[in-house]
Amino acid sequence: MAALTLEKLTVKFGGLVAVNELDLHISDGELRCLLGPNGAGKSTTLDLICGKTLPTSGRILLGDQDITHLPEFKRARAGVGRKFQTPTVFKELSVIENLEIGRSAFPGVFSTMRVFRTPIRGQIREVLSLVGLDYEIYTKAENLSHGQTQWLEIAMLLMQDCHVILMDEPTAGMTAQETKQTASLFRELQGEHTMIVVEHDMAFVRDIADIVTVMDGGSLLAEGSIAEIETNAAVREAYLTDTGDDDA
Amino acid sequence: MNKGFAIDCIGYALFAVFVVLIIPWLANYSGYDLNVYARYLVLGMAAAAVALSWGTAGILNLGQALTFGIGSYIMAMHLKLKASEAQAGGMPDFMGWTNMEELPWFWEPFQSVSFTLAAGILIPVAIASLIGGFMFRGRITGVFVAIITLSLMLAVQLWIISEQRFTGGQNGLTGLAALELFGWSVDVYGLAFYYMVAGCLLVVLTLALLFLRSKAGLVLRAIRADPERTRFFGYDVSTYEVVAFATSAGIAGIAGMLYAMILGFASPTYMGLSLSLAFVIWAAVGGRESIVAATLGGIGVNMAEGRLSDLFFDQWTLILGVIFIVVVLFLPRGLFGLVMDLRIKLESHFMANPISRMNTSLDKHRSETTASQREGK
Amino acid sequence: MHSWLNEIFIGLSLTSILLMVALGLAIIYGTMGVINLAHGQFVMIGAYVAWFLQSQFGIGIIVGLPLIFIAGALLGLAVERTIIQRLYTRPLDTILATWGIGIVLEQLVRGLFGSDSRYVARPEFLDGNLILAGVHMSYYRLFIIGFALLTLAVTWFLLFRTEFGTKLRAVIQNKEISECYGVSANRVYAVTFAYGAGLAAIAGALITPMVSVTPTMGTGVVVDAFLVVIVGGVGSIVGTAAAALMIGEATAWLSYLLSETTARILILLGVIVLIRFRPQGLFPDKVRR
Repeated sequence: MAALTLEKLTVKFGGLVAVNELDLHISDGELRCLLGPNGAGKSTTLDLICGKTLPTSGRILLGDQDITHLPEFKRARAGVGRKFQTPTVFKELSVIENLEIGRSAFPGVFSTMRVFRTPIRGQIREVLSLVGLDYEIYTKAENLSHGQTQWLEIAMLLMQDCHVILMDEPTAGMTAQETKQTASLFRELQGEHTMIVVEHDMAFVRDIADIVTVMDGGSLLAEGSIAEIETNAAVREAYLTDTGDDDA
Repeated sequence: MNKGFAIDCIGYALFAVFVVLIIPWLANYSGYDLNVYARYLVLGMAAAAVALSWGTAGILNLGQALTFGIGSYIMAMHLKLKASEAQAGGMPDFMGWTNMEELPWFWEPFQSVSFTLAAGILIPVAIASLIGGFMFRGRITGVFVAIITLSLMLAVQLWIISEQRFTGGQNGLTGLAALELFGWSVDVYGLAFYYMVAGCLLVVLTLALLFLRSKAGLVLRAIRADPERTRFFGYDVSTYEVVAFATSAGIAGIAGMLYAMILGFASPTYMGLSLSLAFVIWAAVGGRESIVAATLGGIGVNMAEGRLSDLFFDQWTLILGVIFIVVVLFLPRGLFGLVMDLRIKLESHFMANPISRMNTSLDKHRSETTASQREGK
Repeated sequence: MHSWLNEIFIGLSLTSILLMVALGLAIIYGTMGVINLAHGQFVMIGAYVAWFLQSQFGIGIIVGLPLIFIAGALLGLAVERTIIQRLYTRPLDTILATWGIGIVLEQLVRGLFGSDSRYVARPEFLDGNLILAGVHMSYYRLFIIGFALLTLAVTWFLLFRTEFGTKLRAVIQNKEISECYGVSANRVYAVTFAYGAGLAAIAGALITPMVSVTPTMGTGVVVDAFLVVIVGGVGSIVGTAAAALMIGEATAWLSYLLSETTARILILLGVIVLIRFRPQGLFPDKVRR
């Protein structure tokens, strides 16, 4: 069964076609990597799925639910989580408060009005130690290092416990070792969660991906296993003719 | 959310002692002074209403006096009807001057005390919910919220001034009777009335603090920082904003009702630009992040005004203007911010030193061990 | 037939006053994002300078305009250097600080000249009316309409045809990069604020023959000016002009058809709806930030 299906998804900004008739089928529990040169429409695709941008035409299905016209918060409740390219956490809040925001199984005002403490045990404890923030519980997020901020945002997504997780360059700014840890974390999440990961780091992609989708100029260029993609002529062409300094 | 609960409780208890014990003592338990201090408490409550939506959710409502004024008119309508019982048809005097035949239908229900008290809270809440829903579903923020709330307030104020036959126009509603609650005729110069006002203030603040201390308050702070990001976690940002906006309107409505009783009349100036901005400024002086600090800002500035305007006459307004500028420039978080900075300094000076040193060594240890643990997985 | 021509003329007259007052505000808001609630008091000060020049030295409004502009600009410069420049990173706080500045200015003027209304005579050569198709148009109002258009043209020229304007637009688009290219943003801000304040003072002087001059006259003015700026769209002087025209004409017509108060209430409500559905204004500046 497909966890997420995009059907002829198109978005235009003025005259620019950022995503063009994109079809994508992502099966349940899959970890899909999205590659492509800068401006290929990868982040825009994630924006379309999580509702940050509304499509000009086409459909988005989550399972068999049509979420094309749902507002962001309803998509999140339906099970779409998003990690942004630049880590976006609540800087004025402490680590534990950020996690409490992430713990959003009951997001209504009347539910949250009755919650007064974050229990620091169970799932929260686990997530904290998984991302190595258990000694920073009361640290304000603005005082964390860049790598720790990345981990905090991932931890918030773990608390949110979404079925479909969209990751935009999760390893940007991480050390080699942290990247390795991220890869192992992703492999753990895989199966239970469906993930779409936009990434430039090819070593990381080789490490985690089941199937790789390559985009160029807003359209789907190629799809297949990592080995197939690396030998695909069209892909080579796209990367060579586009900006030569692309780090992908 | 988890931290600092005890310290906040102590702070709030001190505030309650100040309101319940110290102010009556300052007022010498004398009627006139008690009435004046009751007025300060009510204005403090209005400042708290501003802080609730502005300091927590980042909604700057320049029209807070609208709901304050509506509350005061609602109370004044009831008291006016009560004062006019002896008149022909029970109609207020000003209606006779404008040749009204009978009491307008929307005046009728205000004969009842319980309806009036409920309406004084619920009508401001309803109006704020409507206008809040209208704004926040359209994702209007920042200065645009300020302009919309301001324009609405001015429009309503103009309507009230122009419809003299219904509202008393520019003169407002004067010559009010005393409120009668459960057979008790309220004397606004008595100690009992002061305690009623103080009780209202403390109950309202306690409920508001509970709300802000809950996860809902946390979500509001998240919204203030980054509404976009909050949506992606499944929170319906506009509903939260409407709730904060409407709650603050309800508080302003209560304050308005008490205000009309204290001064004995309702006037269109209660929903004027000057008063509305004054609320905002009191909240800023006290500290917009804490509703208790904002209340103290309202009480403090008005107390100072009461004392100093005798000393400086007209120059007081000038001094007030300078104080506002200085506070905005040098104390952007108000006096509350100053106190919090001091508290953090004191904490780090007296207690946190050894702990933080321990923490950093633990940190090193932890990052080494957890790293190796994760390697092993 | 002449009655609707008359309303159009009244609308244009209102438009010209709104435009004069709003233009300075639009430039300040568009450039720095500063919400200057003291703008009404700048207008008031311009009116008082005009009154002072006339009553003390017998200098008429029009002859005195350069002096009035300089007085307003110097005041603006002083306010910007001492207070506003510290608040560029906190735009919402400027609402509070400038409200405080407004209170202080109002109180200073009250202290110096008292709260009585002051009257300023219009220049004699602009007495009388032009009668066209049965419509009485006072020469003075015609003069203000012309002057407002001139101010608009001069401002447009400054923004788009001078080196200063280029620097200003560069700073609006990207302050950091402009500074890398040697544009002093601080200086640009100071000059812009002074220019906006100077325009406000001129507007204040020019309306003196039509209103009574009191220390509190600024408060009403600033609200109208703000509605015009927001409706027009941030940073667009064409938008400001269009919004002034729209609000001016609407005021004239609705006052004629209904009543002055109803007109004002309807316009306030109209502005609310407009902001709700077009917060970027009628003519948004597309390249802004």
